[in-house]
Amino acid sequence: MTTHIAAIEYALADHAVTLEELAEQGRLSSRPEALRSFGFDRAWVAGQERDQLATRAVGRLLENTGADPASIDVVLLAGATPASHATSESLLGGFSYPAARLQYDFGLTNARTIGVSQSGCLGLMTAVSLGRALLAADGTIARVLCVSSDVLPAGSTREILYNLISDGACALLLERGDGPNRLVAERQITKGYYWDCDARRNEIVAAYFPTARTIIMETLASSGLAGDDIALIVPHNVSLRSWEILLKLTGLPPDRLYSDNISAKAHVISGDNFINLKDASAQQRLTKGDRLLLFNFGFGASWACMIVEH
Amino acid sequence: MSPDEVVLVTGGTGAIGIPLVESLALDGAEVVVLARGVSPAAPPGVRVVRGDILGGDTLGMESGVLAAVQARVTTIIHAAALTRFDAPLEAVRAVNVEGTRNLLSLAGGCGRLRRVCALSTVYVAGKRTGPIFESDLDHDCGFVNAYERSKYEAEQVVREAMGRLPIAVFRLSTVIGDSKSGAVGRLAAIHHAIRFLYQSLLPMMPGAPDTPVDLIATDYAIAAVRHLSGSGFVPGRTFHICAGADAVPQGELIDLAIDAFVRYRPAWRRRAIEKPALVELDTFELFRQSVEAVADSALRASVAVLAPFAPQLGYPKVFDDGACAAMLDPAGIARPPIRDTIMNAVQYLVESNWGSRAGADRGSA
Repeated sequence: MTTHIAAIEYALADHAVTLEELAEQGRLSSRPEALRSFGFDRAWVAGQERDQLATRAVGRLLENTGADPASIDVVLLAGATPASHATSESLLGGFSYPAARLQYDFGLTNARTIGVSQSGCLGLMTAVSLGRALLAADGTIARVLCVSSDVLPAGSTREILYNLISDGACALLLERGDGPNRLVAERQITKGYYWDCDARRNEIVAAYFPTARTIIMETLASSGLAGDDIALIVPHNVSLRSWEILLKLTGLPPDRLYSDNISAKAHVISGDNFINLKDASAQQRLTKGDRLLLFNFGFGASWACMIVEH
Repeated sequence: MSPDEVVLVTGGTGAIGIPLVESLALDGAEVVVLARGVSPAAPPGVRVVRGDILGGDTLGMESGVLAAVQARVTTIIHAAALTRFDAPLEAVRAVNVEGTRNLLSLAGGCGRLRRVCALSTVYVAGKRTGPIFESDLDHDCGFVNAYERSKYEAEQVVREAMGRLPIAVFRLSTVIGDSKSGAVGRLAAIHHAIRFLYQSLLPMMPGAPDTPVDLIATDYAIAAVRHLSGSGFVPGRTFHICAGADAVPQGELIDLAIDAFVRYRPAWRRRAIEKPALVELDTFELFRQSVEAVADSALRASVAVLAPFAPQLGYPKVFDDGACAAMLDPAGIARPPIRDTIMNAVQYLVESNWGSRAGADRGSA
């Protein structure tokens, strides 16, 4: 059974804020020039539209694909923070789930809704992985809508462990069978030792590289591919410096890293890989049959790698 | 050692000096230790004299003391050195080169002197790669840190003096701990690196799985120095007191440390910590620069300890110790199995929380 990503759409926050402006607002812990040397330039910071980003992404997806809302069988809504999964702070409001709201707003009347949480920046990859498993396991399911919506609290810092964070949402449509962006392989590792992000922040940074290398090499091996077989590395938009190091560790060709969005969009939490996949495709950077490597890391801590055939 | 022997030891309060002095005293030698500042408690048979190798050709000794020392000393073991890998060149040069020059100047005035033993490091080889022989010294490959350069320059000073003094050079490798108890007298960079591995703060280091890492047991180092500075003394020679062909591949060393963590702290396994990546020097340098640009103190501390010495692993080499073995084998001095020594040392480090826990002293270092 094969699965493919039939369509991707995304919505960033309306306004970009420069590193200098963020520093003036006290929303960075590193110096702007340090973050600039890591490849960052600006962050997209949501204002009034903070609750609308997922709606915008899903709306674009349905409109551009012409998909019948009733044909969606499952909605998997990923969000990295607790706020992504509740629309109110009241006790009862805590049960006011945004996935159900999406189902109602868009008339996805046949879709069951599921929230994907506690995966940090891996949320959307985890949703894709679960969607793939559902499509494989249940013959009545034909279309899965995977959505990520990540918006940091208003006024919060925009730097997390030396990375610049943007607000945004991404929606993608998973379908059974062959098609563009066929999922070839995927792998995920969770190391619970690092669950306490505050206490283990240094250890998390230290664990990032060797574990990333392990999972990338294992995923390539499980696909029977070598680094040179990868046409484009579709990253999460973390520090360019960290990617330079990781590319050296893995031996992946540095010229195949799609890094345009690190400065342009910064780290849109779990949407990065698929936003980048959409943009790379729109920029004619991909040809049919290209093998793509997607890698991401999420607090928790989890590492994930996916091979996609365009 | 003959009963009329009087041994002057510099650096007698250092990592090698302490067990060396203890060993000499146990053997009945009259030992004089040159020490700065407050004199440490000396074992029986050991006399501590106030002085400093930076104190000119008198080594800062009072005239009466100096006269007595120069009149009686038969053997000098020069172990004093500044061994900080991150120290600036001026600082290490002052202690390690000028200090050696001062010591040799004093030695010239010792009427009964039979032996001068200069302790050095195998890493005077600096960035050379491949086989390194005991007779080798001169090279233009450069050095990983100022300490290596200073010891190289000190050996040049020593070699110049070999025509007028009975001098031998003992190049020691990295001392990991006592072969049986694992006890570590003084933590060095290698022990801190093991601590960072334990604490999951060691994401990468230069090297490759098959890069030889030359480590020796403290007791082997002491036994070798004792023999080569006594009945096995050969003036004008240089000896490698090292693991040589028994050096452990870097990948295996990491595996051994992890095996010891799991054995002596079973709960450590649950952390599922990934082994550090062994990388090329430029990759490590990129990581070091990133950490120094933004990282928090714990990771910075880890990199700060690694950065001055770990690049040595990017220059793989094997130290030949044929001449040393030829001297030690007939005396029955053999290297203890290094893998057992490593396991014991890591056990000591883990159980003593890197020497900070009371009661950790399970044996002499």
